[in-house]
Amino acid sequence: MTPSTLIADLQAFLAAEHPSDDAFDQQALALFAHQYQNNLPFQRFCQQRGKTVRSVKSWRDIPAVPISAFKALSLSCIPEDQVEHTFMTSGTTQGDVKGRHHHPTLSVYDASMTTNFRQRFMQGCELNIRMGILFPTETQLPNSSLAHYLALAVSEFGTKDSHYLLTAAGLHHTRLLAELERAAHTGEPYALLGASYSFVHLLDELQRLGKTFALPPGSRVLDTGGFKGQSRELSMADFYAQLSSVLGIDPSQCINMYGMTELSTQFYDDGNATLPSIKSGPHWIRTRVLEPLSGQELPRGQQGILAHCDLANFNSVTTILTEDVGVAVDGGFLLLGRAQGSAAKGCSLAVEEFLQAARA
Amino acid sequence: MTALRESAGYLPGLTAEEVTWQTLVFEGQGRTLEVTVPVLSQAQSVALMDRVRTASRSYLKSLTLAQIVSTIDRAIARLLDPADPWRKKVDTLLPLVTGYDAEMVRLGLTGYLKTFRKPQLQRFLVEDFGNPQLLDDFVPRAKGGFSKAFGADVAVHVWAGNVPGLCLWSLISSLLVKSGTVGKVASAEPLLAGWFARLLVEVDPLLADCLAVVWWKGGDTAREQVFFQHADLVLAYGGNASLAQIRSRVPISTRFLSFGHKLSFGMIARTALDARKALKTAQQAAYDVMRYDQQGCYSPQVFYVERGGKIGPEEFSRYLAHELSVLEKKYPRRTLGLPEAAGLANWRQAEEINSLSGTGSDVSGDGAWTVVYNDSLQALAPSALNRSIRVVAVDQLADVMPLLTPHRAFLQTVAVAAAPRELFELAEWLGRSGVTRICALGQMTSPEAGWHHDGRFSLLDLTLMVDIEASAEAASETFALYVD
Repeated sequence: MTPSTLIADLQAFLAAEHPSDDAFDQQALALFAHQYQNNLPFQRFCQQRGKTVRSVKSWRDIPAVPISAFKALSLSCIPEDQVEHTFMTSGTTQGDVKGRHHHPTLSVYDASMTTNFRQRFMQGCELNIRMGILFPTETQLPNSSLAHYLALAVSEFGTKDSHYLLTAAGLHHTRLLAELERAAHTGEPYALLGASYSFVHLLDELQRLGKTFALPPGSRVLDTGGFKGQSRELSMADFYAQLSSVLGIDPSQCINMYGMTELSTQFYDDGNATLPSIKSGPHWIRTRVLEPLSGQELPRGQQGILAHCDLANFNSVTTILTEDVGVAVDGGFLLLGRAQGSAAKGCSLAVEEFLQAARA
Repeated sequence: MTALRESAGYLPGLTAEEVTWQTLVFEGQGRTLEVTVPVLSQAQSVALMDRVRTASRSYLKSLTLAQIVSTIDRAIARLLDPADPWRKKVDTLLPLVTGYDAEMVRLGLTGYLKTFRKPQLQRFLVEDFGNPQLLDDFVPRAKGGFSKAFGADVAVHVWAGNVPGLCLWSLISSLLVKSGTVGKVASAEPLLAGWFARLLVEVDPLLADCLAVVWWKGGDTAREQVFFQHADLVLAYGGNASLAQIRSRVPISTRFLSFGHKLSFGMIARTALDARKALKTAQQAAYDVMRYDQQGCYSPQVFYVERGGKIGPEEFSRYLAHELSVLEKKYPRRTLGLPEAAGLANWRQAEEINSLSGTGSDVSGDGAWTVVYNDSLQALAPSALNRSIRVVAVDQLADVMPLLTPHRAFLQTVAVAAAPRELFELAEWLGRSGVTRICALGQMTSPEAGWHHDGRFSLLDLTLMVDIEASAEAASETFALYVD
């Protein structure tokens, strides 16, 4: 069991208005102590890096766990069979091994998501909005954190007429067109949310039909996750320009969400009128940009690998090391894509080529 | 601080003003070097190929092998002279371009250049042709008749990679078989080939039109197609993906030779691990890892170490770690860009996480080098390079052989530290598995003169053998003026 006081403290911290740096540190250290004590693989990981409860004095000292560890280790403070929910990565990159993120209760994840979503996507709007979801349902993908996230968006912030616009066969064309036509007709704001690649399929479909729409003011888009080889690749600039011209939604109302199965909190930008857009998160998550080999934090403006300390990750590990390249800027960070294995410089066989050959 | 500038390539018949140039920027060791590389139009490319073809036919083919060897020997002597302006340029700029430690490049290059002096070239020629006279004249054959080896009129070489010198070997081989050569330099190291071409022309000005050094951006299909269509032979180095693309653009009737990326490793028998020899063995192994930061096809990616010696595999891995830390001080690793650093960090982190599962593995290193020790047999796989190496403990070296089978196409060099009988036994197995070169530890990155690169004949493969059959000779007798 996760101590109830720990969750209560955390919920209070999430709900706080403007908590101090000290308060963040305090919360982070309490969670670190809890995770260090109750998760042996994590403890061994810390010891390997010479970190103990004694030597970790601020959230910055907490060793960042590479996301690949979610595949190889059991990162949970309670036995895996006692957790309420486990989210899994889509697992396309490392064979069939999937990263697993265990949530003893989804109450913290849900509180984190709704508080943040209200502020960043609903932008203080009190009224729920009619939504169209470009992603499978939670029933179809029970282990997908994104499916849960979108289901929560619909149940908390969507009107009861919101729809899922994907079927097993792909885009539900007639319903999509009906929804868009209806919104344009009635003037009721409409929100489309889903995987970035599904938006590309939507663009392709509307282009094929030669349809464009002028959705009413207040309408908006939320895309996430990039194209992942599931659709044609296009530049961010083209992507938002096309969304804007086909749907009549200004790029400033096209929000990109950056989230990961290994986190319980999401980052958002404030629209994509200027690119690359600045991503930021709520007060319970902090990001550092690290030099990959030394793990040293890099000065603002220098590219490195992103590490996030997410206090809503109370049961796994607060601090994760991503494989995403980013740079710290005023007001947040820029996300510059995935750290690709670089093309071989010499004539020595590199891991990437070896794996490709093994797959072939 | 102003940037250093240098222009790459060698373009006979074209003035700098006629050509469009693109700039590649290299930064390192606190300095910036801007290298301009030529971007030729289609017409310029065609004209260049024609020019080389004409000169190759009219001049190069008229030279004797002895004359060509002497020209190369003189050019190499210039590069071996530390005071020569060309050598100074190489020593100053090559470390900046490749990022490798200057002293490592200097030592490596000198050792390499020594293999192209006259006696070594002669060894190369004898190795491939038996009787090198075959390149000069029709030579009588044991079977009867006569044969002569002809090099292509124009060969196009596509060079890749940042291991200094690869292009020299390729260019020299081509010259030795009297082929006009147009070489395409890699963006990672665009300079050395052009310098060497200019140096050769300094030594023999009549060679001026017999070679050219060009550049195009990898994958620029329109540009490379022009060169391939006008070539008699195309030789390319690179990864399998880029080689496949190149092959698809070479006309089917044009000969295509390819050299893919390779995986090399070391095998250390217990006999090399007694108290006296183990340290030396570790030093040699570390040296092979350090050289060119494992970027060479011959660089080790794994060491299989046999149990049962005075020094066990795990202890050997600690010796190796120590030696790598010593070498890091003497020859620091080049600075890695973010993608390479992230790739290495990912590999290392995955190994660290593995070692937490109590599988008897261990990771040591400080970021500048990494040694992963595995207590049990692991499937053969590349390391993350850049001084990252895996040491695998085995009961018997022979246990490694089944691991090699799936990777036959990628295998190249194996350093063997073992007693003579064992060396030959292992060699038999390694040869069956696809390994083409077996050498001593410490020598992995210095193939000997006359070696068979990837098991082939480096010079012979560049030629076509033309036979005068005995019947032609006999028949000709009947047509002689003096026939009775």
